[in-house]
Amino acid sequence: MAKPKSSMSRTLARRETISAYLFLLPSLLFFVGFVIIPMVICIINSLTDASMYTKGLGNFVGLSNFIRLWQDSTFLGALKNTFIIVVVSVPVVCLFSLWVSSAIYKLKGPILSTFRCIFYLPVVTGSVAVTVVWKWMYNNYTGVFNYVLKSLGIIDQNINWLGDSRYALGCIILILLTTSVGQPIVLYVSALGNVDQSLVEAAQVDGATNLQVFWRIKWPQMMPTTLYILVITTINSFQCFALIQLLTSGGSGTNTVMYYIYYTAFKLTEQSGHFGYANAMGVMLAIFIGLLSALQFKLAEEK
Amino acid sequence: MATLSLKNIKKIYDGGVVAVQAFNLDIADKEFIVLVGPSGCGKSTTLRMIAGLEEISEGELYIDDKLVNEVEPKDRDIAMVFQSYALYPHMTVYENMAFSLKLKKVPKDEIDKRVKWAAEILDITQYLSRKPKALSGGQRQRVAIGRAIVREPKVFLMDEPLSNLDAKLRNQMRAEIIKLRQSVDTTFIYVTHDQTEAMTLGDRIVIMRDGWIMQIGTPQEVFDHPANVFVAGFIGMPQMNFFDGELVKNGSNYSLLVNGAKVALSERIQKGLAEKGVDSKKVIAGCRPEHMIMKPAGEDTMKATVDVSEMMGSEIHLHLSCFGKDVVVRIPSTELSAEHRGGMAYGTEIDISFPADLIHLFDPETEENLL
Repeated sequence: MAKPKSSMSRTLARRETISAYLFLLPSLLFFVGFVIIPMVICIINSLTDASMYTKGLGNFVGLSNFIRLWQDSTFLGALKNTFIIVVVSVPVVCLFSLWVSSAIYKLKGPILSTFRCIFYLPVVTGSVAVTVVWKWMYNNYTGVFNYVLKSLGIIDQNINWLGDSRYALGCIILILLTTSVGQPIVLYVSALGNVDQSLVEAAQVDGATNLQVFWRIKWPQMMPTTLYILVITTINSFQCFALIQLLTSGGSGTNTVMYYIYYTAFKLTEQSGHFGYANAMGVMLAIFIGLLSALQFKLAEEK
Repeated sequence: MATLSLKNIKKIYDGGVVAVQAFNLDIADKEFIVLVGPSGCGKSTTLRMIAGLEEISEGELYIDDKLVNEVEPKDRDIAMVFQSYALYPHMTVYENMAFSLKLKKVPKDEIDKRVKWAAEILDITQYLSRKPKALSGGQRQRVAIGRAIVREPKVFLMDEPLSNLDAKLRNQMRAEIIKLRQSVDTTFIYVTHDQTEAMTLGDRIVIMRDGWIMQIGTPQEVFDHPANVFVAGFIGMPQMNFFDGELVKNGSNYSLLVNGAKVALSERIQKGLAEKGVDSKKVIAGCRPEHMIMKPAGEDTMKATVDVSEMMGSEIHLHLSCFGKDVVVRIPSTELSAEHRGGMAYGTEIDISFPADLIHLFDPETEENLL
């Protein structure tokens, strides 16, 4: 006798659920093994004095690593630099990419592709290669910046761009900007192209100027894209590491939290090898990123 | 309130596609004009050119005697209702309706007064604080109309505003637009592909096909005297029946032969043909389903066989096969014998004919009306 329909469909649903989980299993295993477990270990470690000089997990020290952070002038300096990078690069990346994409999104096929390619190139090029090129351009003796500025008579003496604490952080932010705008531009071009054209036309007929159409109709339509861009740019800026590592090794006032974590954990110096302390910094950084992202979501929701 | 004048308007899209050709129309102040035609006939393009959303390739557009070809949409003082409603999704109903007034920097209390007035007319007062996504299709349509009427524009443009609504709501909204017209006394230009909307709403109808105007006239004119076969077939539901016929001139007298039936023509038609100097020739004879007559066999009747019989309540629609052509005849139930009032069986043979004065004659080559 056939089973009643409801139990039949329940069986089918169960089978589908099982096969769905089976499909998910490989990526779930990967995610748990390489993301969740290290995160948990990181949090646990941050509450211990684990280091390369102690065996095993180290001793439980409570929140003392976190308290020590706020008394560590190097950490505070790195935190300040990190915030400067975030505060400068996030709005600049957002506004610049919005400006570029609104200028190019209406262009036809090949021209649009060329522009997208130009701005996206630094994203797909290896960050080490890009950084090395910039290092050449910033070079004290042979760099193109000094050459141009000298030729134009703007400076008399070469500037040590990456060695002078007045310029180094700015130079690093400039590189960060060029490598960060590619993805937002591509996202904004697509978001602008997806704005419902009839809304734009309705606003034009309603008497809106081009600027009013942009800010009052297109901009709210692009809010989800903007939010995504804000969050990824914030995270990228907080995690600025490769540039520092390759250009200054944290010198000339360019130390960031990310670099300091690496330095504290892995650099072969006397201050290094302190996994517990470095993990506490990592947790702190995650908290900052989480808080800022939550704030961005909240502001976007209110809009 | 405004007059409009479209002189030789032409629209050519990139790639050379011509969407509108030689469009000439003068629209009087407070007139309700309906542009009607099948998809791709250029009616929406014409409306969008009037709105300023499409560039006019050739010709001149005047609003109140002022040439506006180069005037931005925002400066034309027109309001438009879009097919998709185009309500701003991030604004409430109130904000949607107030948007244009805010841009014009109208004082707040005046905005409030006008929005509430429009909301009351359209019966959407209770939805003013809602976002468009929380409204049904019909309510959104009302908001779209409300957003347009608060502006008290010179010209009111509507681009297939009812096409996204279900049949019942469409009938209801059509009646509301007729009522709205009485309270918003301005010039209306309304685009639709639905000939019922065109007939019921328009003071004058512009029937278009492939970018060309086929006929301009009042609903009565286009119905009673279609300029060509296209208009004759487009206006009227079910559409007009067409037959191949032969017009025979015998002295000053004309008669029509259709499938062996010798049809008498009225004095009016005879006179019209004589005035135009029409000679004996092949013609397309048209007759509307409601005008066809079912009568006993005679020299003026044609044999036809019932294919389908549709009982519509007060009348039946007979789909007949008549000399290899499909013919539709509408017969009021009151004119049918008791046995046929519920419909006629497949294969029933009947005789049909034409009324002398309600027959339309078209030239088979030009497809123009001979009268």
